[in-house]
Amino acid sequence: MALDTPILMKRIPQGNVANRQTVWYDGYVATGGYAALDKAIAMEPSKIIDEMKASELRGRGGAGFPAGMKWSFLPPPDGGHRFLAVNADESEPATFKDQLLINTDPHMMIEGIAICMKACHLDTAYVYIRGEYHHHRVTLEKAVQEAWDNGIFGEKSRMGQINGRTPRLFVQRGAGAYICGEETALLESLEGKRGWPRNKPPFPAVSGAFARPTVINNVETLATVPAIIENGAAWFKTHGVARPEGVPPQVPASYGTKLYGISGPVNNPGVFEDHLGIKLSALIGQHGKGMRAGKQFKAAFHGGISMGVLGTDQYDAVLDFDIGKRCGVLGLGTACVTVIPQDVSMVAMARNCARFYSHESCGQCTPCREGSNWAYKLLSRIEAGEGTTADLDLLSELAGSMGSMPGSTICGLADGTSWAIRTILQKFWNEFEDKVAKPRFVGLALR
Amino acid sequence: MAWITQKSSAPNDLGRRAVPYLAPATKDRFERDFIPRYPTRRGALIQVLHAIQDEVGWLPMQAMEEVAQFIGITPSQVVDTATFYEEFFFKPRGKYTLWVCQSVSCEIMGSTALQGKISEKLGIHHGETTPDGKFTLMHVECIGACGGAPCALCNHKLHENLSSDNVDAILDSLP
Repeated sequence: MALDTPILMKRIPQGNVANRQTVWYDGYVATGGYAALDKAIAMEPSKIIDEMKASELRGRGGAGFPAGMKWSFLPPPDGGHRFLAVNADESEPATFKDQLLINTDPHMMIEGIAICMKACHLDTAYVYIRGEYHHHRVTLEKAVQEAWDNGIFGEKSRMGQINGRTPRLFVQRGAGAYICGEETALLESLEGKRGWPRNKPPFPAVSGAFARPTVINNVETLATVPAIIENGAAWFKTHGVARPEGVPPQVPASYGTKLYGISGPVNNPGVFEDHLGIKLSALIGQHGKGMRAGKQFKAAFHGGISMGVLGTDQYDAVLDFDIGKRCGVLGLGTACVTVIPQDVSMVAMARNCARFYSHESCGQCTPCREGSNWAYKLLSRIEAGEGTTADLDLLSELAGSMGSMPGSTICGLADGTSWAIRTILQKFWNEFEDKVAKPRFVGLALR
Repeated sequence: MAWITQKSSAPNDLGRRAVPYLAPATKDRFERDFIPRYPTRRGALIQVLHAIQDEVGWLPMQAMEEVAQFIGITPSQVVDTATFYEEFFFKPRGKYTLWVCQSVSCEIMGSTALQGKISEKLGIHHGETTPDGKFTLMHVECIGACGGAPCALCNHKLHENLSSDNVDAILDSLP
């Protein structure tokens, strides 16, 4: 089932296109933009949330938490500030989907922001964009200015007053820290502090930015909102994978479309939109136009490195939110696929992942701070041909004992470390064994 | 900044200059553009630091001290925040900062060779600046342009699909 009419990329040419033009306010309105906002303004805020819940839209940032549910967790307004933090700190390695939305059709996300503010009674929104996205930030700031000038935000907002205040939207420039993509670290950074994740509870819905109720959503999630409000939840659920028969309705399914990124040695790398539930082989074959000449598929990071790796025999893996159980990975993640060809060593990939986490660990929790660096040292040694079989056992034990799932860290960064290294070890154990197979004499000792 | 200058192990010279980094006009601009966005003054800190670094090129201690006074927090709180983030520099850097990506997609597509080529051409490694003060080289993790791997930022400009062949021309074309 191919996607006939894109939702997120309806104004954007698909794939790896040179010189994409940004759709500015006039172009956006001329193609039906901000109609959903007008519809939302006429609706009761609680009805907007009901519609979002009915659509079963799941967060596109990686965790897949139902967005409507998140919106409904906020306590009723009590007169104080209420915030929206938009997570545009897209730092997961191999992920480059949000930058496309920001750079080419920023008003779609801005409309989603306005609808969310209306629905949840939020008076101030911040788009936290990562520091490395320089030209994207310039584009976004211009689009936000357009939205202020055209009565979306500010004194003359067509939404009127929200939560007793003028609705406002600002761009917050990050400064280069992967961990600020974690929601509570993002809030700390927003407050002008180090990006250190907070202990939960309290959850951000109750005590988020500046200790006030806060909604945090990914760029892509919010960009999907206008289409749902305009066309209804039932229409949205004709996309993606339906819930299997016999599964109770409280189990979230994978409705809707998703932006997929493809990078690595394929003929046509880039960002594409398709139904949730597309096969990896179809993504690489149809959108990526196959592997480059002389390159053979070996493995793939299917949703950023933190989700783990898909092995050679998982070339036909179905990319939806249930991929975790089926394929022995953490989850769908960001659905941006990095293809690893046969001629790249998985030991080198594991080492690259470990280096990333040891560099990006915020340093609060010992298992993450020390564990990731230890794993990096072990993997560097193995890659240099100096490793022993004991190193492999140690590495497995190390990777298996860090993370918020065993309960040893505050946030999920250590889980990412663990899953990335663990899945590579499990699925490509023979490559590691080959590297350490030959006993070596170092000095007088047999290692 | 007594906590730095009065320690016997610390450098005495913070490179102070007579002209303040935060001129009254600059303060007015921050007061107008950044401060009203946040319920606390500290919320504006990272935006203020960015504005100063964009102007000066790096963050001198004196500037951070003035920022602390402006925001109404202690200098140590400013340094605490600033040192967490990779983009802030605490010593002068080159006219151009090269941020060469080395994460998975870029490594698969050949960033190791690219880094080697750049280091060889400029004679510097990660974190170093050329003696003529033109280039600073940074090996960084994913910069979010994986479709065009290997990629690098030169100051604010993104370069995609780099190779040992075309990087020469790009570096040579910089004035």
